[in-house]
Amino acid sequence: MSEMDRRTFVGNAAGALAGALLVAGCKESTKNLVPGGPQVRLGVIGAGSRGQELMRTFLRVPGVRFAGLCDVYEPRFAAAREITREETPIFRDYRELLAAKEVDAVVVATPLSFHAEHVIAALESGRHVYGEKSMAKTVEECDRIVETVQRTGKHYQVGVQYHYATWYRETLRHIREGKLGQITQIYAYWHRNSNWRRPVPDPHDAKLERLINWRMYKEYSLGLMAELGSHHIAFANEIFGGMPESVVGSGGIDYWKDGRETYDNVQVTYRYPGGKTLCFSAITSNAHEGAQIRVYGTEGTAVLTEADGVLFYEAKKLKASAVTKVLIDHGIVTGASYMPEMPYRGKGEAVPVPEDVEGNANYLACESFVKSVIGGQRPEANEQVGRAEAVAVALGNQAIEEGKRIWFRDFVREGVGA
Amino acid sequence: MGEPTPSRSNPTSVNVCILLGMGVFLACICFVSLGWAQIAKAGPPATKLYVESQQAMGTVFTIYLYAGNDEQAGALFGSAFEEIERLDQTLSNYKADSELSRINRLAGHEAVTTDPEMFSLLQTCLEYSKRSGGTFDITVGPLMRACGFFRGQGRYPAPWQLDRARGKVGWQKVQLDASARTIHFAVEGMELDLGGIGKGYAVDRVIGQLRAAGVKAAMVDAGSSTIYALGAPPGKDGWLVRVPKPGNRSQTISTVVLRDESLSTSGSYEKFFRLNGRTYCHIMDPRTGEPVEGMLQATVIAADGTTTEALSKPMFVMGTEEGAKYLARFPYVSGLWVTGEIRAPRVVPWNWPGCEGDCGETLADIGERKAKAQ
Repeated sequence: MSEMDRRTFVGNAAGALAGALLVAGCKESTKNLVPGGPQVRLGVIGAGSRGQELMRTFLRVPGVRFAGLCDVYEPRFAAAREITREETPIFRDYRELLAAKEVDAVVVATPLSFHAEHVIAALESGRHVYGEKSMAKTVEECDRIVETVQRTGKHYQVGVQYHYATWYRETLRHIREGKLGQITQIYAYWHRNSNWRRPVPDPHDAKLERLINWRMYKEYSLGLMAELGSHHIAFANEIFGGMPESVVGSGGIDYWKDGRETYDNVQVTYRYPGGKTLCFSAITSNAHEGAQIRVYGTEGTAVLTEADGVLFYEAKKLKASAVTKVLIDHGIVTGASYMPEMPYRGKGEAVPVPEDVEGNANYLACESFVKSVIGGQRPEANEQVGRAEAVAVALGNQAIEEGKRIWFRDFVREGVGA
Repeated sequence: MGEPTPSRSNPTSVNVCILLGMGVFLACICFVSLGWAQIAKAGPPATKLYVESQQAMGTVFTIYLYAGNDEQAGALFGSAFEEIERLDQTLSNYKADSELSRINRLAGHEAVTTDPEMFSLLQTCLEYSKRSGGTFDITVGPLMRACGFFRGQGRYPAPWQLDRARGKVGWQKVQLDASARTIHFAVEGMELDLGGIGKGYAVDRVIGQLRAAGVKAAMVDAGSSTIYALGAPPGKDGWLVRVPKPGNRSQTISTVVLRDESLSTSGSYEKFFRLNGRTYCHIMDPRTGEPVEGMLQATVIAADGTTTEALSKPMFVMGTEEGAKYLARFPYVSGLWVTGEIRAPRVVPWNWPGCEGDCGETLADIGERKAKAQ
């Protein structure tokens, strides 16, 4: 592919994705689910911390029951059954769970390196899939998931739940209406002050350590980029209308030198078509910034957190005014010049959220998936959203590891999901 | 002082009895081992005392525990506070995106499905309401607000305001359907507040985790109002908890030794007001909407934090005589009231393990005195 062709392709793919998102966003909402309505029996592959949280949330959606639990770590069966409060069937091999007739749809919450295997097998078994982010670990795996979704006609929803958060949707509407002017930059942070480890019953059991703290090991994980960055990247993709075209990055194991392999801090800068930029930073040694996205437009700024959104507007530029005669007669005074360029410290406006949308981001995402399973409509955070997010995560991580700019056109295959 | 009374010396049977009595509790208390269980069973002996605090549920949770080293303690604290935060995020009526807030917004219009844990906790609450004759009531929010207690205004509402608020209050108006796992309010404008039980439930969940992790000695303190003591510090009979004189935390009425049991206190001495020469406290009798008079503090000891927290406020509202009858319906429970005026408080123990100096008149003493007077 020539340089020009590649550029055209990436641009077109981005445009196509933006179109798909817009169409999805305009789709009429389905009827509310009610108790006593259709039943959905879910199977969960990976009932760890995140899997359990998803189970609790799914069980708040009318009609949901868990018909199968699969994990490779025995104590999780009891913990998961404590959530369902029934003797939910357990499986030690995901293929057995997929062979169970009682399972209508599957939730995949396994370590990142297993996503593609589990998601594809579940789709092939004829089930719709809710898959945790990041969609998959490599670009090639992402492409295979997209192809499988298209071939099987089954739905895939990626677990970027903020896609469904009311204050995100509303902010996006403000942006699309031009209220913040032209969006040129997004700065996104996920800053924590903790070692990001989960307790291991026996710290000397290396196998158990890798199983529980899989996020620390490159074999399974893309570290902070995948586990935290994917949410912010997915939103930037939505604002900028598709995947980035290049990325540079840095990172290291600089504070928590405890045997981990994935970075304890990462900073990446993505460039999107049309000269737009996403800077993402994740650190684990200071929590001042917390988790937030700052969307900068020529007319204003949106700051989004995990719980709300606030809009700020740029100061109005001073207008020309008539000059009095005093100035002409007396002149102006000279002196040392100093005008500090201070950050804006005024109050913003809370992003208004519609009152008829109930529940937090996790609930809305889970409810939406159940509606897709029952009603058959395509999820909004579908495999294209997942692919765009996961490819950016994978290439961002590669940019950090290789210490050079990565061009998406060199890795992103043409025609996937077109 | 120091020996737990025989009536409270068998925590295992306490658990069993309460479970049989409350039925719906089973799932709440029987905490199963999580993935990280057994943490404290491996590694060095747990000889160092660690403490960590964190804000949650409108107060400060403090956990004291014995662990072998910093790493082990850090892992235990991490999981414990994560669980407390999870419950705060679920049970809070302040956080707009909590599960309870979702229920409160929707249940006036439709039957709302919720997860088994939340459903079971709501069942437990209604069970306590029923047993306590409505002195425990999670629907009392609108009445509290009408009475101006929420903002500590100390204003007394007009009768029509009270009547209107009463229409939106009442545990009997909360309809639970166990087969569909749904909650429905019989009238619009109702709301649930788990402030009288949520901290105790969180304490029990954390204790369950610590126990499953192999911790032998720990104490979980939810804002000093609900405390659970797991095991005992090395070489001790249990963990010491002081019940203070109302209005003066430096003076002690009673010091109890807690071991594998919980203690809760309801008090009003920090927020009372005077109106027309009478002293009212901010705790209201949900049955009448009237503020409770003449009561300063009520403390209860029982098997677990959910139970003690759910018993302490009814005990306060009912007063000594009705309250003692209520406590008597639960096995292995002890109570201690402080009544009267702050300047001249009266201590009334019931099945209480012991006080500093004089514990005051027991209910039996009072009964005897009254009989003699007649």
